[in-house]
Amino acid sequence: MVPISYYLILAAALFCMGMFGVLVRRNALVVFMCVELMLNAANLTFLAFAKASGDVSGHVSAFFVIAVAAAEASIGLAIVIAVFRSRGTINIEEIRTMKH
Amino acid sequence: MDALKQYFMTAPVDPAIFAQSLWLIIALPLLGAFVCGVFGKMLGRGNVNLIACATVAGSFVLSVVAFWCVNHAPPGTTPVAMESAFSTSAIRYAIGYDYGTWFSAGTFRVNFGLMVDHLSGTLLLVITGVGFLIHLYSTSYMEHDESYWRYFAYLNLFVAAMLTLVMADNLVLLFVGWEGVGMASYLLIGFWYSDTAKAWAGRKAFVTNRIGDFAFLIASFLIVLLVGAFNSQANTGNFAAAAGNAETAQVRYREGLQMKGPLAFQGLEVMANALPSAEGTQAAVSLATPIKEGPLEGRTFGGVLTVALLLFLLGAAGKSAQFPLYVWLPDAMAGPTPVSALIHAATMVTAGVYLFSRMSYLLVMSPTAMITVAIIGAITSLLAALIAFAQDDIKKVLAYSTVSQLGIMFMGVGVGVFWAAVLHLVTHAFFKACLFLGAGSVMHGNADETDIKKLGGLRHEMKWTWGTFLVSTLAITGIVPLSGFFSKDAIFHGVHANYLHGYETATHVLYYVGLVIAACTAFYMSRVYLLTFEGKRSPEAKIPHAHESVWQMTLPLVVLAVLSVVALVYALPLMPGRNGMQPVMENFLGPVFASAERIAARGGLVKLDHTLPTLGSYLVAWVVAVSGGAAAAFMYMKFFPSRVGQPAPAFARSVRRFTQNKFYVDEAYEFLVIRPVKNVSAILFKLVDSLLIDTVAVRGTAWVTTRLGSALRYVQTGDAQAYAAVMALALLGGAVYALIQVLQ
Repeated sequence: MVPISYYLILAAALFCMGMFGVLVRRNALVVFMCVELMLNAANLTFLAFAKASGDVSGHVSAFFVIAVAAAEASIGLAIVIAVFRSRGTINIEEIRTMKH
Repeated sequence: MDALKQYFMTAPVDPAIFAQSLWLIIALPLLGAFVCGVFGKMLGRGNVNLIACATVAGSFVLSVVAFWCVNHAPPGTTPVAMESAFSTSAIRYAIGYDYGTWFSAGTFRVNFGLMVDHLSGTLLLVITGVGFLIHLYSTSYMEHDESYWRYFAYLNLFVAAMLTLVMADNLVLLFVGWEGVGMASYLLIGFWYSDTAKAWAGRKAFVTNRIGDFAFLIASFLIVLLVGAFNSQANTGNFAAAAGNAETAQVRYREGLQMKGPLAFQGLEVMANALPSAEGTQAAVSLATPIKEGPLEGRTFGGVLTVALLLFLLGAAGKSAQFPLYVWLPDAMAGPTPVSALIHAATMVTAGVYLFSRMSYLLVMSPTAMITVAIIGAITSLLAALIAFAQDDIKKVLAYSTVSQLGIMFMGVGVGVFWAAVLHLVTHAFFKACLFLGAGSVMHGNADETDIKKLGGLRHEMKWTWGTFLVSTLAITGIVPLSGFFSKDAIFHGVHANYLHGYETATHVLYYVGLVIAACTAFYMSRVYLLTFEGKRSPEAKIPHAHESVWQMTLPLVVLAVLSVVALVYALPLMPGRNGMQPVMENFLGPVFASAERIAARGGLVKLDHTLPTLGSYLVAWVVAVSGGAAAAFMYMKFFPSRVGQPAPAFARSVRRFTQNKFYVDEAYEFLVIRPVKNVSAILFKLVDSLLIDTVAVRGTAWVTTRLGSALRYVQTGDAQAYAAVMALALLGGAVYALIQVLQ
């Protein structure tokens, strides 16, 4: 059996890659995909811990996370489309509306 | 003769009724000052002149009535007396009225009370009388001046302040007048403020006066503490020394304190009477008793009193231009000449003499303070007389002469011949005002020339000025039938005859110093007179012929000259008094100085002498004065004219330069006081102001805020990724922290 630390290291690596993407990518869609990557890293830890402790609550949490991620992705895509319509770009650096 | 006497002893108004109107004497000039100051520009020259003169004239009339009321004693009735809030005995020959509480704080209370007795009555007449003449003179003297209305407003203000000073029945109200005259003199000296030198002279007078006023204030506070300590420590034994029924007197004293406050002169007089100077009486408090409680704990009553009096002396030195604070007076000659006559001759500078005469009962309890006053007076007088030798500016000579004459008055006050000091104050007011106004007339007629070397020969061109100047010169010199002789020699006789315990040698020396001063006075006054009026007109004169001034200027001169002659009736005739025959003035001021006499007689530390000067001492004084004058006459009529063209010997020139530069006293002050203060201030400025406050505090705060702001600016970019980066960093921090915790 593969020790739990391998899963956790993989999840941490995935999370870091996702976070790196969120921090450096300009394209909002890519940023969304990176967020998904981070969420999946979290899911991986849930599942790993659930398997190790022989408990199903981790699996349930992972489902919830997937559901929320799907909802978030649909709303996020809607926002991105609305922004693209009004501004003609989805470059994050040019959409600094949080200042106001 | 009896009918005349009776007429003068019966006041036209009931004194008790007139007393309520005493405030009018002050209010009239104050009103004049207000009207002239505020509406003067619209009123026009004639109206301003009229208002200014009329208000002072009104004050003069009221002062005459007040003076008359004070002397009210028709045959068969008792002399006018007012109730004393502080003791069971009445105050004789005084009218007064208390207009109620002025302010109070806790147990400290100050009333607005006015009082006129023989001392303040005399000064009232001098202030308003001489003041009126000077106002009249000014109407002509200032006729070419643009802001005449401002001048008259200040002049009226000055008179009002001076009257407050004299009529106040407590130290605080006196201080109001004291400050008021200081301010008015500052305004008047710097009247021509567009000339920087004159504005500076005003400022110098103001600052020098403030130093003295500070001492005055501290002295007043000491007196308040002293009265408080006395009130808690004294017993009936103390009041047995002061009044007949000791217990009633004690109750009355405490009531009086509550009613009129600790600084009323009547209360101080009662306290002085109740403070015996030696142990061994039933009194709980004597001069040697230590104070039991309060800030002065452990100090003796006599010691505190001496310190307070010495501080009062410093205060008086500022106002009366005595050593070491006399330096402002000669500079003050930058102001208009009538101002010099009013302020620097007749009234303000004599305030110190008035103050000490008013508090004579305190002064006689401390021989140390007395001899200090006398010595300071003598030093000032001699120094000023020597400086006056070499001054060429006619007004400066008169200024130094004033300083010198005031020194003589201080000598008189210091050894306890108060009446003679006051008499000299009065006669000096007459003849010195006359001299100043005469100098003003000379300047007016000679295109504002003040250098006596460039005048000369005015005798024939300005007859009235010449005559009056001659009379007052003779008066100040001390030539026999004139008043200055008697007042000055009464002082010198007192210096010779009075006894101060422990300082017998000092008074003896002072007498001879006095004779030297008298000779010096005669010399430099004769010099001024001779160079100005005798001989030929100087070739350096600005205009070839002088012109005599108009009647508004000559009339005051004549009146003052006449007054400086007839004032001798105060000194010459003898009247039967308590201590044998005495001069009129001594007899007249007797009620005022009765307490001082009693305290001096009881204590034995000070013995006031009442013998009359013998013909021998008069002769000595006369010979001294005449020889001084004769020396001047010889030097300036024969010696110098015969040596024209020959250079003076080097020694004489260096002495002359030394005296001409006023013994470098101003420079010494500059070096000893002003320069160090300036340097310390410069350091403070550089270190505290520029560095600490400006750089660190003010600009430092701004710098920190700016830096902080520009750093925090990145927090609010609106860039989602930047926010995410912050969150990531926080997460990293949290992770590292957790890792450290786990590894430990």
